[in-house]
Amino acid sequence: MQVHAGLTGPYPRPEALIQATRDLDRGRTNAEAVEALFRTTEQEVVALERRLGFDHVTAGFLRWPDLFRPFAETWEGLAVGPLTRWLETNTFFRQPILLAPPGRSERAFAARLPPPLLAQPHSARLILPGPYTFASVLDNRSGETDEAVIHRLGRMLADEVRELRGAGFASFLFSEPLLVVRPPEGPRAEAVLAGYRAIQTAVNGGTSTVWTYGADARPAFPLLDRLPVSSVGIDLAETDVERLPEGPPSSGLGLGVVDPRTTLGEDAVEVAQVVRAAYERRRPASVSLGPGGPLDLLPWDPATRKLGVLLEVLHALGEGGRP
Amino acid sequence: MTDRLFPAQEIGSLAKPRWQLLGQRGEALDDAAKAEFRLWDERCSFAAELPALRDALLAGRTREVDPEAVRDLGALFALRLLETAGLDRVYDGEARRIEMYEHPIRQMRGFHFQGHVRSFDNKYYLKAAVTDEVQLEHPYHVEEFDFVKRHAHATPKLPITGPYTLADWSYNEYYLARQPGWKGPSARRAAQREFVVDLARRALRPTIKALIEHGCRVIQIDEPAAGTHPDEAALVVEGFNAATEGFDAEFSMHICYSDYRALLPELLEAKGCRQWAWEFANRDSPGHDGYEVLSALAEYGDTREVGLGVVDVHRDTVETPEVVAERIRRACRYLGDPRRVWVNPDCGLRTRSLPVARAKLEAVVQGAARARADFENPRR
Repeated sequence: MQVHAGLTGPYPRPEALIQATRDLDRGRTNAEAVEALFRTTEQEVVALERRLGFDHVTAGFLRWPDLFRPFAETWEGLAVGPLTRWLETNTFFRQPILLAPPGRSERAFAARLPPPLLAQPHSARLILPGPYTFASVLDNRSGETDEAVIHRLGRMLADEVRELRGAGFASFLFSEPLLVVRPPEGPRAEAVLAGYRAIQTAVNGGTSTVWTYGADARPAFPLLDRLPVSSVGIDLAETDVERLPEGPPSSGLGLGVVDPRTTLGEDAVEVAQVVRAAYERRRPASVSLGPGGPLDLLPWDPATRKLGVLLEVLHALGEGGRP
Repeated sequence: MTDRLFPAQEIGSLAKPRWQLLGQRGEALDDAAKAEFRLWDERCSFAAELPALRDALLAGRTREVDPEAVRDLGALFALRLLETAGLDRVYDGEARRIEMYEHPIRQMRGFHFQGHVRSFDNKYYLKAAVTDEVQLEHPYHVEEFDFVKRHAHATPKLPITGPYTLADWSYNEYYLARQPGWKGPSARRAAQREFVVDLARRALRPTIKALIEHGCRVIQIDEPAAGTHPDEAALVVEGFNAATEGFDAEFSMHICYSDYRALLPELLEAKGCRQWAWEFANRDSPGHDGYEVLSALAEYGDTREVGLGVVDVHRDTVETPEVVAERIRRACRYLGDPRRVWVNPDCGLRTRSLPVARAKLEAVVQGAARARADFENPRR
């Protein structure tokens, strides 16, 4: 069994790009100069991902203001709402407001994807909001029940995936922290499953990953083990490996092994031990490693150091990353 | 202290005027900066108190002026802007501070800045890692308070970042590294507690003590991170109490963009806290009552004052006085006693332009006047 690694969320902007975007807001530079810097930096992230041997690249999703804005701005029925805290962080997103049952315009969302990914879709990993997290953070004024909204967002994301599959994309990661922060039960859990069934149909031979973080995943495992996806990721800064449920899951196991909430570097040997322990308990068909949460909670340099740890862990696990 | 209903107060920072930024750097004021200076001097009359500095700045002799004197003038400007808007409690718009995190951290040893992290959109903040035991270089905010005290006509209210927020906005290396084994959930919790308590005892407490010795009577402990980890509400309180216990001053706690219900009842153990100064307007919209959460205080029988956020600091649209008055009336229905209500912006107005900030402050004052008139003459 091979162990893979890759990014699981947005990457931080480097200091030069930060300064450029600040200057743009203050009228001290122009949009063309900032666009050029975005493109250079995206290529830099892709080069870093390739250097670290990741199977798929993300280009860092540096332009997106937050995970939901590209949808809130391109899907009909949605509006951009007030600043809202993103989980337990000092980062904020604009809460999407669902005013009416949403609809999508063809190719509107795809235009928001990082240009390097559009140029090489086969090697890209697209990071998208999971339907449950999306439905949970929005202000639902549509009159639809929460369960209906979860299912509807799942179907709409499936439509996006179908269109993106047609454009050559094959790897999709759905960011779903709320699945472990506020695990759904009953009809809501069933709506999540229905949403992912629609998505998995659209993925059609590609790979789908659900990545959770921000809370102990154990209470959510009864649902996580039923998700019809290729792989499910959990955050090991929040989840005690020794208490993971035993038994082979139906999907691959993702392990968030570097913590973006501290600059303290992980010890690769220690991480490898934890990965082995997780593998022994779960016996998954595949293991993938990544940051436990979005690395843009760190500045560029510490984030890059953390990413480097993933390569060290793969080496520590042995040739070819076998646990 | 004022005896009338709904006194108004500031919460924190204002944007620094362009003339201050240029002047501090020793750069000549351009036409826009000069126009800005003259406009606000006409509205707030701040420059006559330092005429030589005013003349030097407007004459382009910026290199002759001491950057500290420019900061003084910036502080005086903010003070007069707040006072002439009609506020009862004022400060200096944090004119001398870089911002609420970086400024205090730079007064301490044990930290290393790591780089910028995005807060939202193109807004970022510099974030440090604690790499050694926290040590205070010297009490901070004292000189700025002395200046405000000398010049303020209204009552000064000093904002100071609380220990929990300073810890939450830092990367915890030193205290986490001391925890044995895998840095999982329990190790992180223990490390964070040590960090918060050290900040409260070693940095906040000596600073607050010095401020009180200099005559500071009203102190706002800023804990915007309090809502970040609701399960750590008790730690927020432990930090607050460790920093303030036994001091003779009027303390408030500012929290924003949080689920306040999730912090209760633990937060109520902040024994020395006289006022909750919270954000509400940002979450108040047609169909969503942003003030309903106040009923939680009533449910727990908490009767402290509330600093009521009545204008949203993240949008340029200026609330009308009637909107502000209606929000105050609504809050009073939840709280029961209008005498408990102070009014303020949701948070610091630093992200708004000065004209928008001023207009919002005027809306706060005028809205409070309308609500006051309603309570004094309920048949109106």
